[in-house]
Amino acid sequence: MVISMESGFRSYHPYVQFCYYLFAGFLIMYFNHPIFLTSVLLLLILVNLSHDGGKALRKWILILVIMSAIIILLNPFLVSRGTTILFYFRGKQVTLEAAMYGITMALFIVNILILFISFNLILNGNRFLYIFSKFLPRTAFLIMISIRFVPLLKRRLDQISEVHLIRGMSMTTGSLKSRMKNGMLRMQILLTWSLEEAVQSADSMKARGYGLGNKTSYIPYKMKKRDWSWLITLCILFCLCIAGGTLGYGKLMIYPELGTLDFFLIDWVLFICMIMLVAFPLMIEGREKIRWKFSR
Amino acid sequence: MEKRKTILLLIIILFSLIVVSFILFPYQHYLILSLAIIGIIFFIFFTRFEIRKIKAREIVILAILAATAAISRVPFAGLPSIQPTSFVIITVGLVFGAESGFLVGAVAAIVSNIFLGQGPWTPWQMFAWGTMGLSAGLLRMFLCKKWMQCFFGFIWGFVFGWIMNLWIITSNAQNFSWEFLASVYFSSISHDLAHAICNVVFIIIFSTSWVKILQRFKRKHGLLN
Repeated sequence: MVISMESGFRSYHPYVQFCYYLFAGFLIMYFNHPIFLTSVLLLLILVNLSHDGGKALRKWILILVIMSAIIILLNPFLVSRGTTILFYFRGKQVTLEAAMYGITMALFIVNILILFISFNLILNGNRFLYIFSKFLPRTAFLIMISIRFVPLLKRRLDQISEVHLIRGMSMTTGSLKSRMKNGMLRMQILLTWSLEEAVQSADSMKARGYGLGNKTSYIPYKMKKRDWSWLITLCILFCLCIAGGTLGYGKLMIYPELGTLDFFLIDWVLFICMIMLVAFPLMIEGREKIRWKFSR
Repeated sequence: MEKRKTILLLIIILFSLIVVSFILFPYQHYLILSLAIIGIIFFIFFTRFEIRKIKAREIVILAILAATAAISRVPFAGLPSIQPTSFVIITVGLVFGAESGFLVGAVAAIVSNIFLGQGPWTPWQMFAWGTMGLSAGLLRMFLCKKWMQCFFGFIWGFVFGWIMNLWIITSNAQNFSWEFLASVYFSSISHDLAHAICNVVFIIIFSTSWVKILQRFKRKHGLLN
């Protein structure tokens, strides 16, 4: 029995988490209705707040605001498609459709980036590789040892840099060309040093029997009942959303003429499905909070 | 052989699925489509790597080359927009061939993004660096002259940026206009030029010695032929 120290959304199986990010990302790309995208944006901000109190999000917020402002302001002037003309700017038409498209485009990009901020917090390192280790074991292994080499190479690079500094070969002074040359010389020394070492570690791997049978690995994750039930729920919600999407719901007709922003009945059904899917981490965290409160 | 056939079949099925989805969807999702195509390309190369007979030494060497490419930004942290990652990937492609070039390029992108943060650009970056290594390996008989290598590196400095711009273009295909395209590509031109010049400078000064080091190593241990 593996006792995990993590709670809430982090304690779920990597497959469930990966499906969540895959489905949410797909739906953000799939639907372009501004009301859909705005509610997803609000939910994703809440999801990020539930992970770490918004620490990671705060670093990005300025970039996101500036970027979306640029897109929203610039798009109507760059694109003159559409039929509802607002006014003319230097002889070119500025249309309502292009303005609307700018808003949905900004919402889309911000949503995707915020989803990735959450992804980096939850599915980092081992969990991310675990997903691929089932389908592509050797590739996952290659990436794994490559990741392991990064801190090792960094340490070696520091040693090389110290020796270089004593010899007066600096990265901070001198002409650009000499600095580039010094930097690359360090890389070259690192390369020759590390290649020989790599052969040694490979030989030691071979001596311990690498490649004799199928590769086995220690798996610290196990699909529990709650993982299965959530995975199935997510899949059903996703299929409903896609089925509705292929019928044309949840989407806003922008070009050539702006369609109606009103919701039809099926739009509401899709909207609720999508909200439930995106709010999945919030529901888990919320349920745990409530249980904790009543257990005392 | 059996495995190869099933993989071939899988690729055909995937491609026909893409074509069908392209025809059936009333709203054209170019972003989803382009990501699916990139996914299939990765799938082909990674499954080839899975079924190939390979020595432990070769895996470790590929890993250390990818790690070297990923970490080569570190000494240049003080010099903005100078990074020799592309140079390292090109030399690996030149010496170890197309497949190893692709693997090292793609893995270097994943590894450096695991430390810097994944994003929607990760698959595009993997694809751009992967094809950079791949093309260096495929064209290596033409790239023995140094000026040819410089030309190759210069071109790839721009092509890399153009591939990276594609994720913005494909995600807004409905909105397409030539002004929009021009503004996206124009805004990246200085960055691409810096990348191209960097590649040329590194190739002029270092390509001979790097190719020599890797070639000697390859012959000494009989690796990745």
